[in-house]
Amino acid sequence: MAERLKPVDVVTIGVGLTGSLAALELARMGLKVVGLERGAARFTVPDFQSPAIHDELRFSIRKGMMQDNVKEGVTFRNSSDQTALPIRRWESFLPGTGLGGSFVHWNGQTFRFQIADFIYKTHIEQRYGKKGP
Amino acid sequence: MGHDTDQPLQKITSEVSRRQMLTTFGKASAAVLPATLIAGGSASADAPPTTYLFLNADEAAFIEAAVARLIPADDKWGGALEAGVSNYIDKQLAGAWGAGERLYRSGPWQQGTPTQGYQLPFTPAELFRTALDSINKELSQTGTPMAKMTADQQDAYLRSLEAGGKDLGGVPSDVFFAHLWECTLEGFFSDPVYGGNRGMIGWRMIGFPGAYASYYDLVDLHGTTLCCPPKSLGDDVHGHVHENPGIPARLP
Repeated sequence: MAERLKPVDVVTIGVGLTGSLAALELARMGLKVVGLERGAARFTVPDFQSPAIHDELRFSIRKGMMQDNVKEGVTFRNSSDQTALPIRRWESFLPGTGLGGSFVHWNGQTFRFQIADFIYKTHIEQRYGKKGP
Repeated sequence: MGHDTDQPLQKITSEVSRRQMLTTFGKASAAVLPATLIAGGSASADAPPTTYLFLNADEAAFIEAAVARLIPADDKWGGALEAGVSNYIDKQLAGAWGAGERLYRSGPWQQGTPTQGYQLPFTPAELFRTALDSINKELSQTGTPMAKMTADQQDAYLRSLEAGGKDLGGVPSDVFFAHLWECTLEGFFSDPVYGGNRGMIGWRMIGFPGAYASYYDLVDLHGTTLCCPPKSLGDDVHGHVHENPGIPARLP
């Protein structure tokens, strides 16, 4: 039977990078916020600790923290005139599961900064001119 | 491996003078790496023979010959064969991934568009077994198995698989080639605990440091080259957390 909890002002569906930042801002405004996560609990230690978390094959290639698509699969098509078929192995988009947001599900990978990232305004102006393309 | 991989990063870098750190990569790595790590081929010389759990003798012979051409050895570094890639592939096929873990295997079955990805009914283990059986049957009829071909012949045969259009018992040859190539890359560059990348040869070749926890203590050393030996997950399996004592685990 459903248990009715005390109402709050805001509920975030997921507490990843987006949900946690939104919750922080809303809480600072004085609102009562509850964040929902699904799946297994995970914690910095031992789940995200080094060196195991640096296992690129397990997490990035084999999608160790993504939803198990054998249990929760989806079908996919690019346009309505195609037949939607099961995504048999995660490739193009990756629904994560378990405590922690996309930053951990994606193995905490961020791409190396390019030189242009540090001189963005200069770079854009040199490439496209001061008035843009 | 003769080197001490348990040294914390801080210690390794503190033993390296700033002058050494600022030299070019080649010089710096030669200055710091133990001699046993510098010769790329040395890791293979004393490598244990592979015990195949999944592949039979004919299948293993093809895989060994094929990966040796996909990432060939040169005068400086061993290739995929020396790195144990065939062992990696064997262990992957024998395990959960080979058996189709996280591979959706219910209908509807039909050929999809390229953007709909893999739509074949084979698990990876079934895919390799089916394709290899077909390949070895074909090559036994021609009288020259893969392992007996010259390097040029092997390359030509692999190219014919990659080009597609050949049916390998229900597996399109380009799909098999794509799996073989992916697995070869994985075996060459994934952590040695998976059975490939022996002696961390793939990582040393490209200068990848492996599973270090943090470079926090190096953040302010601009313009330097990291030149400590790579670290495997297997170098630290006793529950030890690579922590920096300068960073509190929680706010005081």
